[in-house]
Amino acid sequence: MSEFLNLLAAGLTSGAIYGIFGACLAVWFRVCNILNLAVGDFAMIGAIGTAEIVQQDHVPFAAGIAVVLAAAGLVAWSFDRLVLHFAFDRRGGGHGIVSVFFYTFGLSLVLEGVAKAVFGTDVHGAPEIWPGPALAIAGFHVQRAGVLVIALAIVSGLVLWAYLRFTVSGRAASACGESVLGSRIVGIDSALFRRRIFVATAVLAALFGIVESPLSGFTYLSGPTISLIGVVAAGFAAFRRPGRAVAAGLAIGVAEAMLGGYVSTSYNDVLLYAILFGIIILRPEVLGLRTAAA
Amino acid sequence: MAAAWPGRQTGHGSAGPAAGGQASPEAGKPPALEIERVSVSYGKFLAVESATLSVGAGECVAVIGPNGHGKSSMVTAVAGLVRRGGTVRVFGETLPAGDPGAAVRAGLVLVPERRHLYPDLTTRDNIMLGSYSRTRRIRARQAWEDVSGVLDMFPELTRLLDQKAGTLSGGQQQMVAIARAMAAEPRVLLLDEPCLGLAEAVARRVYDWLSMMAETDMTILLVEENPVHALMVADRAVRMYKGLVERPEVAPA
Repeated sequence: MSEFLNLLAAGLTSGAIYGIFGACLAVWFRVCNILNLAVGDFAMIGAIGTAEIVQQDHVPFAAGIAVVLAAAGLVAWSFDRLVLHFAFDRRGGGHGIVSVFFYTFGLSLVLEGVAKAVFGTDVHGAPEIWPGPALAIAGFHVQRAGVLVIALAIVSGLVLWAYLRFTVSGRAASACGESVLGSRIVGIDSALFRRRIFVATAVLAALFGIVESPLSGFTYLSGPTISLIGVVAAGFAAFRRPGRAVAAGLAIGVAEAMLGGYVSTSYNDVLLYAILFGIIILRPEVLGLRTAAA
Repeated sequence: MAAAWPGRQTGHGSAGPAAGGQASPEAGKPPALEIERVSVSYGKFLAVESATLSVGAGECVAVIGPNGHGKSSMVTAVAGLVRRGGTVRVFGETLPAGDPGAAVRAGLVLVPERRHLYPDLTTRDNIMLGSYSRTRRIRARQAWEDVSGVLDMFPELTRLLDQKAGTLSGGQQQMVAIARAMAAEPRVLLLDEPCLGLAEAVARRVYDWLSMMAETDMTILLVEENPVHALMVADRAVRMYKGLVERPEVAPA
């Protein structure tokens, strides 16, 4: 029983990582039909940046977090103003694979290069926000950072879900992804929504990187792997439903942990792709790409 | 090549154009909509060349003419959706160019050609978002309560409220597009080819509704390729040809 609970705890922790990045990807894709392939790099900036300025420059931890989150937000805002604004607002944007993938893929490469030059190639981990030994609850053990990771993923998913479901602003954000012209007709500033949500998800990803890094550590190359995990989780949520992305991430994480614990860790990737393949065959509408270009 | 296009004979408040496509001002009040030397270019192609038109309060004016002569470009520019030169005023208030939000806040609302609904959102959300400029800071349920009165005009939409707009028929989608515009509480309503792609019977229903609207004090500028449709509801019509608004010489009776 305790083995099951420990595997559950490990699965929820890794699933929360899937889920939070899936949620960040899903909410922005819902607004502007672009995949944020740099979301993992914002997490990397959060983790390594905080580690550097707290441990090397001896900036107080809270102030360091605030500085790094502000920097992540500034990078995202600048990218929107300097690249996306000209590509989409001035030149009519464009559709297809270039707009969906390559703007943010380019940003990811730039952030990697800058991080390598500034922070080097070592593994970094920010200090623990909630230091102390692992928690033992009813026979299973979970790291405190893991508890924070799970809590942050659930809270973020719920907040994003509630925003989209219950507020006019959230519905307007969804309308931007459905029809840019249709949203502008009623006075919705689709560029402003794109920018705000890009900045918000960049800051959220950076915060998640800070919280999660004591568990796994980050290098300048961690970003693309995280982004890829996020794409898979967002895919399970039709690339549009952040709440469902968190739930899907948690479920995938638990399934992987159970498979790894009771069968073999060699089958983790097989499980992930088998589920994805099954959905493509049985419920293709769940993936939602049919309406992405509408 | 000037011509006269007398519209419907309703004894409407405005007597139509004095001359040159201009509405006659009522006791010093500004016209509901003034379009002054508006031009629109797409690269080197000049789609609209110095268009000038005035619509009096409560008047329904049709802009007719063949496809590709600048009608839609003019109204989308007036609504702030494309860059333009010239001046647009709504009840005397000058609108900034290229700012559709300012146009909506001033009471100028467009029902665009091909509707441009949000296909994956419900009919309810599509209609509610028409009120975005005044309800954006509140909860969706409150916003819907604020605008649900528009269903009085389109009772058949009531049973479709929870259906995704992309699954509605063309006629139903057109109703949703008009209801969305009405949720914005417009003072001036622009309609761009409202019957494009609709079956004749459905188009007739849309025009029945427009006739009802034209009987109220709503100011309407209607873009329509089909002059028969246009003159069913309009007080008068002007023709756009090669990017220019031609001016009728004779006012309707």
